[in-house]
Amino acid sequence: MLIYTVKRFFEMVIVFFLFLVISYLLFNAIPGNAFSSLLLNPLLPPEAYQKTIEAFGLDKPLYERVQLYIINFFKGDFGYSYTYYPRTPIDLIAERLPRTLMLFSIVNVIAFYTGFLVGKILAWRRGSKSETWITIGSVFSYTVFYPWFALMMLWFFGYKMDWFPLGKFLVPEKWYDSPYTSDEIFYTLILFVTVSSFLLFLVFIFTRNIESLQNRRNVRFLGLLSLFALAAMYWSNGEAALKRFYAADIAFHMILPTFTVTLVAFAGTALLTRTTMMEVLKDDYILTARAKGLSQKRIRDRHAARTALLPVVTSFIFTIITIIDGSVLTESIFSWPGMGQLILEAVVQEDIPLAMASFSFIGILALIAHFIADISYAFLDPRIRIKAEN
Amino acid sequence: MSQKLLEVTNLSMHYDTLDGNVDAVKNVSFTVNSGESFGLVGESGCGKTSVAMTLLQLQPDNSVITEGSIKLEGKELIGLSENDLRKVRWDSISIVFQGAMNAWNPVIKIGEQIREAMREHYPQNSKQENINKINELFKMVGLDESISERFPHELSGGMKQRAVIALALSCDPKIIIADEPTTALDVVIQDQILNEIKKVQNLLGLSLIYISHDIAVIAEMTDKIAVMYAGSIVEIGPTQSVFESPKHSYTRALLDSTPSIRGEKKKLRSLDGEPPSLINEIQGCSFSPRCPSPSSGCKNQSVEMGLIQIGEEHFVDKCCSECV
Ligand SMILES: Nc1ncnc2c1ncn2[C@@H]1O[C@H](COP(=O)(O)OP(=O)(O)O)[C@@H](O)[C@H]1O
Ligand SMILES: [Mg+2]
Repeated sequence: MLIYTVKRFFEMVIVFFLFLVISYLLFNAIPGNAFSSLLLNPLLPPEAYQKTIEAFGLDKPLYERVQLYIINFFKGDFGYSYTYYPRTPIDLIAERLPRTLMLFSIVNVIAFYTGFLVGKILAWRRGSKSETWITIGSVFSYTVFYPWFALMMLWFFGYKMDWFPLGKFLVPEKWYDSPYTSDEIFYTLILFVTVSSFLLFLVFIFTRNIESLQNRRNVRFLGLLSLFALAAMYWSNGEAALKRFYAADIAFHMILPTFTVTLVAFAGTALLTRTTMMEVLKDDYILTARAKGLSQKRIRDRHAARTALLPVVTSFIFTIITIIDGSVLTESIFSWPGMGQLILEAVVQEDIPLAMASFSFIGILALIAHFIADISYAFLDPRIRIKAEN
Repeated sequence: MSQKLLEVTNLSMHYDTLDGNVDAVKNVSFTVNSGESFGLVGESGCGKTSVAMTLLQLQPDNSVITEGSIKLEGKELIGLSENDLRKVRWDSISIVFQGAMNAWNPVIKIGEQIREAMREHYPQNSKQENINKINELFKMVGLDESISERFPHELSGGMKQRAVIALALSCDPKIIIADEPTTALDVVIQDQILNEIKKVQNLLGLSLIYISHDIAVIAEMTDKIAVMYAGSIVEIGPTQSVFESPKHSYTRALLDSTPSIRGEKKKLRSLDGEPPSLINEIQGCSFSPRCPSPSSGCKNQSVEMGLIQIGEEHFVDKCCSECV
């Protein structure tokens, strides 16, 4: 397993080099000088222009430029963003990426977890009325034209019912005399969500082996209760109590986009799980499990769902890869100031350094996700584990 | 020895399909005493597996039992709730499936898959007790203890099959059904597995229902034998008596198409024609179209099929009772 992991890691590094070179060449292939738009930006002082030329070796031959670019990349130097001068792409990405990751991680975790639960129950109750209706609903939300759907959600819940804000990240009026920047608050939120999901995960892991289902349920319920108590304690004491007001503002802005994207992403998982699970239910070992006298729930969860989990995990990982590209649409509709909007801006404004830095990050993220996919696949499926070891 | 363990009477079952009803089991009756081994033989597609599945009440969703009863230790299984059936399955009656190669869940270790059944039926057992018992069973079927920690795909076909037998024994059933347990294995392994099953059966005093299309194997394995054709039992009796004086022309054809077990040189004769489709209701004797020596009575469509006694515990279908 270790050898496999190391091997995969080196493959990943090689692919990343190729990716960097190819993406540089692609940008280089843009008609004219890829950096010509630089000249047209009146906000950009001449010394920034000079700096960029030097930093990227724009007056040097192509292969030297590629070299320079890769060296600069590992130094973390992408030059300056044209549109946000004098901020650097790294600085901008560091600000935007967490917002996107936070929103879409929450969405994906909820969507895949509930999608999987619903999908397996659908497959199990095949042919019942509830199965038919939920399946039809899922097909609808899976195939619906997403931008239209998101706008409708925004129109209905944001405008018509006025329950949620019409997009954006926060309400500026509330923040005039705020002692904190929005980023500080947002990092607190991220920390909070990360720690609590980790604790939640621990509760589930540690109660996994409780044999009696009744006891397991009770212990998990207790665990959840104490987590809630902990959370409440955290937000009502010390500095967090002061941040609470602002954090709530940001969290409130997250609800509608989260809900909308979850509805769409959830359906795909549910349908995928339903289909794979129905295939698995035809397998011989399901019959063995029934013949052994196991309970329905155990057959469903332990024998059928476990095997049906594999394709779902794959699709989960591939979704992670597309988080940033996928975020362009959602973030535009909900005016969420994340990576998606940043990329859109960079491309529209021909802000080459920013665009290249952003695309490199997408590349890194995609590679890491593939890496995780391979490793977790080997972990979940012993057949792959064996192959990997040889 | 002669205590009735399983009693099947007038069992009829069909599958509901788009093309019509497939009459897979027609008016089948037999009893299996405790410690006895019972053989069910017939061509592929004659309904053997359907009978086996019905005994465990594990028949597919599209099947309908129209008639009959299955009594295990005097307790009726047909119509029992899923929850009550769960207690009977594996605890009293277990099965080695046809194609048992795929009987293992690919992502769970062998030992855990056996322990899982034991936990269900012996909730009071400690993990160590279960492990000890599995090791004992593995020894009995000729497997190494380390197999417990292996995944199914790490084992050869023969090992998987042995492990399946250990699995079937894990909850001390009174009767085991073996549905063509060796069909997918190569000949040498087949023989070993057969010996293993026989050994275990004698050792534990189990009842066995052995299902095969190979009448030679059945001869080796069983005390009593039923010959099935197109969903019906056409001849049933003590193995010896059926082999020495087969009455039904189908039984004879089966025996003739097998190299003689007693080593006598006999010309191999294979049966012409195909078994009838089970979709259409068959009038009269189902075997008559293929019968090498049909009497005028056989072709008579008003003759109903049914067994009549011709010897001690030896029954044969009416139609062939007069055959010579
Ligand atoms: N689920 C099913 N639906 C419809 N027909 C079936 C089904 N299972 C088996 N059959 C049919 O029932 C007949 C008996 O099958 P089976 O019991 O498997 O025979 P055997 O085990 O003797 O080969 C065959 O004609 C087969 O095609
Ligand atoms: Mg069969």
